[in-house]
Amino acid sequence: MPPLPLPQQLRGLADLLGEMCTAAAGALDRATTAMLDGRVRLAEQVIASDARIDAMRAQLEDVATEALLFHAPVAGDLRAVVSAIRAAGDIERMGDLALHVAEVVSMRHPRPVLPPEVRDDFAQMGAVAVQLALKAAQVARSRNVILGVELDADDDAMDKLHRHMFTVLMDPSWPHGVPAAVDITLLARYYERFADHAVVVAGHTVYAVTGEEPDAIPI
Amino acid sequence: MRDAYQEQLDELADALADMCNRVADAMSKATRSLLECDLQLAEEVISEDIRIDEVRAVAEERAFALLALQAPVATDLRIVVSAIHGAGDIERMGDLALHVAQAARRRHPLPVLPAEVAPYFAEMGRVGVALALKAGDVIRSRDLAAAAELETDDDAMDDLHRHIFTVLMDRHWSHGVGPAVDITLLARFYERYADHAVAVARRIVYVVTGRMPGPLAV
Repeated sequence: MPPLPLPQQLRGLADLLGEMCTAAAGALDRATTAMLDGRVRLAEQVIASDARIDAMRAQLEDVATEALLFHAPVAGDLRAVVSAIRAAGDIERMGDLALHVAEVVSMRHPRPVLPPEVRDDFAQMGAVAVQLALKAAQVARSRNVILGVELDADDDAMDKLHRHMFTVLMDPSWPHGVPAAVDITLLARYYERFADHAVVVAGHTVYAVTGEEPDAIPI
Repeated sequence: MRDAYQEQLDELADALADMCNRVADAMSKATRSLLECDLQLAEEVISEDIRIDEVRAVAEERAFALLALQAPVATDLRIVVSAIHGAGDIERMGDLALHVAQAARRRHPLPVLPAEVAPYFAEMGRVGVALALKAGDVIRSRDLAAAAELETDDDAMDDLHRHIFTVLMDRHWSHGVGPAVDITLLARFYERYADHAVAVARRIVYVVTGRMPGPLAV
């Protein structure tokens, strides 16, 4: 089969990125629900479905490689292809982080992972992270630079929640001991990294469209 | 023309291998700053991270120039795409070394590590630095046997990482929650550092063979 024309390949790459981001958002959303409600079967579903995100990444790299091989794109088109390859790596990692959350739920079952006083914080971290991933999906599909630049500021909410978690853990009156603190430290880190990667994914689109990194865009 | 092209490909590999040496040096210094509460060394790692990011930018420019001007195919295309991935992994290794140095600085002049876990971190530092240097060698040599070695070398890191959790979870842990939180994150930084070195070597396997080795457990 002859390769598709470049514009169609670029469209395909943008759609695949959007699909991957949406899948990663869904995975973290389900992992968070599994953690908050102690639903081990849901956690296991998240673990099993990570392979789908990995497969989409492989598919995206094939399309990107084909685009480079057959069309030798330059300038903005070249940036779009290379940025898609990079963004796919970040989104695959987002899937891995959602998987890690689900693994903790599955490992600790039937014991709940979170003590009651941090549940709301994790529910919020989950909501912020999922929103960032969905917005990154929209940026990848629409190539909307203004929206793409926004993610960095959106991520401040996550940083605040993340810092707050340490304040809670370091409080001398923390009653749940070291093992719970270790789990919470890592879980909070997974959410924070997931959000960071979503910001980076949007940044790749900004770079593809403008040739500039997001912090150089005067918006 | 062909020679100039080959030279460009070699320069790209050199830039990546150079990055590996830099992040090995950064992790070596960061580990010492952590173990010896050496603030000046920690500051050095923190201020030098920007240099690693610059080398990454240079490597990526070279990769883009190759793609745009030479339109490489087959193995050469795999080299360039792998270099783009590799540069991202190695830059992240630099960030992780930076995080270790930041932990040392944040707690200074207090030690971050209680005496009984310090030896494990010394060992994680040693394993991590060796992995980074080996990844640099593999980039230069494209030696598949050496690339495969990184995977087994990384097992030592995983063992150390698991062991640290056993120590933290032990009922006799006497240092409280604060140090446990620091140690949890630090151990994770070393483990991720090693994972990225392995990922770099796996990309080289892909360059040479056209196939990625089996899935990476992370």
